[in-house]
Amino acid sequence: MGTGNVSRRDFVKASAASVAALGLAGRIYAAGSDTIRVGLIGCGGQGTRDLISCVKSTSGVEIVAMGDLFEDRLKESIDKLGKEVPNALKVTADRRFVGFGAYKKVLATDVHMVLLVTPPHWRAQHFQAAVEAGKHVFMEKPGGVDPKGIRSLIKTAELAQQKGLSVVAGTQRRHSKKYQEIIRRIHDGQIGEIVAAQAYWNGGDMLGYWKWWDKENLSDMEWQCRSWPWFTWTSGDHIVEQHVHNLDVINWALQGHPTQCMGMGGRAVRNLGNIYDHFAVEYEYANGVRVASYCRQINGSTDRIAERVVGTKGVADVDRGVIEGEKPFKYTGPDPDHYVQEMADLIQSIREGKPINEGKNVAESTMNAVMGRMSAYTGRALKWDWVMNASKQDLTPPKYDWIDLPVEPVAIPGKTPLV
Amino acid sequence: MKQTAAGAASLAAVSAFSPRAHAAGSDTVRLGLIGCGGRGTYDTTNCLKSSPGVELVAMADMFQDRLDTSRRTLMQRLPDKVKVTDGMCFVGWDAHQKLLATDVDMVILTQPPHFRPAHLKAAIEAGKHVFMEKPVAVDPVGVRSIIKSSELADQKGLTIVAGTQMRRISHLVEAARRVHDGAIGEILGGQCVRLGDAMRSWGPQKREPGWSDMEWQLRRWLFLTWLSGDFIVEMHVHNLDVMNWLIGAHPVQCMGMGGRQQRIEPEYGDSFDHFAVEYEYPNGLRIEYMGSQIDGMHYRQDQRLVGTKGLLYTDSGRVVIEGQNKGEIAWDQNDPCLKQHADQIEAIRRDQRLNEGRRVAESTLTCIMGRMSAYTGRALKWDWAMNASKLDLTPPLQGFGDLPMPPVAIPGKTQLI
Repeated sequence: MGTGNVSRRDFVKASAASVAALGLAGRIYAAGSDTIRVGLIGCGGQGTRDLISCVKSTSGVEIVAMGDLFEDRLKESIDKLGKEVPNALKVTADRRFVGFGAYKKVLATDVHMVLLVTPPHWRAQHFQAAVEAGKHVFMEKPGGVDPKGIRSLIKTAELAQQKGLSVVAGTQRRHSKKYQEIIRRIHDGQIGEIVAAQAYWNGGDMLGYWKWWDKENLSDMEWQCRSWPWFTWTSGDHIVEQHVHNLDVINWALQGHPTQCMGMGGRAVRNLGNIYDHFAVEYEYANGVRVASYCRQINGSTDRIAERVVGTKGVADVDRGVIEGEKPFKYTGPDPDHYVQEMADLIQSIREGKPINEGKNVAESTMNAVMGRMSAYTGRALKWDWVMNASKQDLTPPKYDWIDLPVEPVAIPGKTPLV
Repeated sequence: MKQTAAGAASLAAVSAFSPRAHAAGSDTVRLGLIGCGGRGTYDTTNCLKSSPGVELVAMADMFQDRLDTSRRTLMQRLPDKVKVTDGMCFVGWDAHQKLLATDVDMVILTQPPHFRPAHLKAAIEAGKHVFMEKPVAVDPVGVRSIIKSSELADQKGLTIVAGTQMRRISHLVEAARRVHDGAIGEILGGQCVRLGDAMRSWGPQKREPGWSDMEWQLRRWLFLTWLSGDFIVEMHVHNLDVMNWLIGAHPVQCMGMGGRQQRIEPEYGDSFDHFAVEYEYPNGLRIEYMGSQIDGMHYRQDQRLVGTKGLLYTDSGRVVIEGQNKGEIAWDQNDPCLKQHADQIEAIRRDQRLNEGRRVAESTLTCIMGRMSAYTGRALKWDWAMNASKLDLTPPLQGFGDLPMPPVAIPGKTQLI
């Protein structure tokens, strides 16, 4: 492949040529067939759900390779897939890989496409390896946990573009018909000039969703990798891991990223890991528009998950599909499951040979969240250009092995250094 | 008071106000100070300086040492205007009552905010004009009391000025005029941000051996919610009062968050060190407030509004308006802390109505509901906080003795009352 915009017929021909030239590994997908061979890297709850959505999104998806850090997680995932999508599950015993190097082994198989769903810490390096191996990519949000990872992500997204590979990110609101229609109307000027916006993810403490493992006999590394949502180096903290969804919608609506931010936060209740349980960040965008961002994971507090955009002629409650003002509108059309739709869009783009590439979008939304976290952790106002170009923050541990790894202390604004 | 015949006649005819607006037979306004801390001493200094013919004649405080220090300072600063005899000095829990029983015309109420509602009520019932510091309460029960006492003050022809002096800063006065005249059109959004240091040098740094729990808490009142309201109320009422003023309304609901992440030592009581509250005003207008008292954090203090025709930015030195009605207004350097007293003394002498009680009560409740929302994690409606909330932070003990430090609020667990 290597080029975009080829017709379906050309694509099949090119694939056939690739087969001749390179053998199996060089094929984008099976010549003369609609089959998409998929590999899963990161077999946790989200990875398994994403894979099920992928299989359900279209016909002809085969699961042929899987990799995870832990054998038990891999097995649980296979068991679940066996129940939910038995016909698509074609992972032979020699295509089940575990350990820190599992992703390389998945990428060395003849998969056309991989789902990158390990904890966010690994996203950038896995994305790079996948694109270098010529695979189409679905990657879960967020796209990283630190500026170093995000810079890598952007570079890899460019490489994917050059190679004609499709990249879809798990910011699934971008694949919602409802969101798409509201954003289209915002871009069309139907709420006038944008002057303010708000993004919220205020919800519960996630204990029912994010597994917490007792330390007991586990090595530090294993304990933290298994309990990854609760540590900043693995998840990026919840502003990055979860609230990125809402910040992504704001970037989408405002057609850009912030230029600076001022954040605050802390942990008022939480006592697991080293992440915060609330953040509030003021973001400023290029034309001076200020956006308020709130995210909280505290049980018993008021929930609100929403995105709202205010213009001189109206207000868009994007999540509700409603515009009020001079040109009121309410979206009443179909809005198929976003998790299935994102996979359908990805596979359609592969089959039609019309690559889509959301790498830069998710890199920027992730950076929104990362800079908000860095500002809240340190108490310092931050500029986008500094974070993107000059920050040296790199949360990578000394090595990927079952090592001792002391838990970083919880950040204290005014004391935690800005790196 | 020496009034002209005409003045006296008009007073009697028009208003039938309290005949003892101030001491009959003299132009002198006799002042009493209730709460002799740093702010009380500062306000008294300003009040005495603001206008001729004002004398301090009585002082009251919870503590003898605080009263003595304040009295000495004021005597040194303004020996001609400070005429406080030993017999007009009162200390203890009922000091304010004793002072209010004297023949002062006006009192300055500057004890910690917890005491304000009770002190205002007593002062108005005693027929005194009142200057009271912000905030004016720490809970909805107190806010309701302030409003009731303010209404009584109106009936009795008494003046009330509240120490929200930003309302008298020249550039903000002009900004409010222009915004109300439509300079930025309909208001669509805004921010109110005040980030500052942790106030660690404030108050006694260590507990003296003889101090009871109550005395320790009273002397560290800034960091105890039942006494100060927490800093969103105690300090940032200034900034949120400006937002209410510019917008021309109080919020209808809010959702707040906050906690303590750096200032966590026990001597900082149960105060948070950061708050972020989204206030919703009428017509769906959402305003973002962020406040902190954290050392080493970015410093900021500004208010901003964006409207259909432009935006307004203001800090302590200037106002900038951008858009269709561009302009920049600088502070004229006049001291609003002097002006607020001059205005009041003039109103007393001219028998003019001047009552800021309800307005400052509303600004105080704006802050209180933000704190309550952050403490509990619950979104709140103004009407509920104003009319239905039963929160009353008065401790069981009214006197010196044992009083455990209250626990720090835990959102999601701390009860909404």
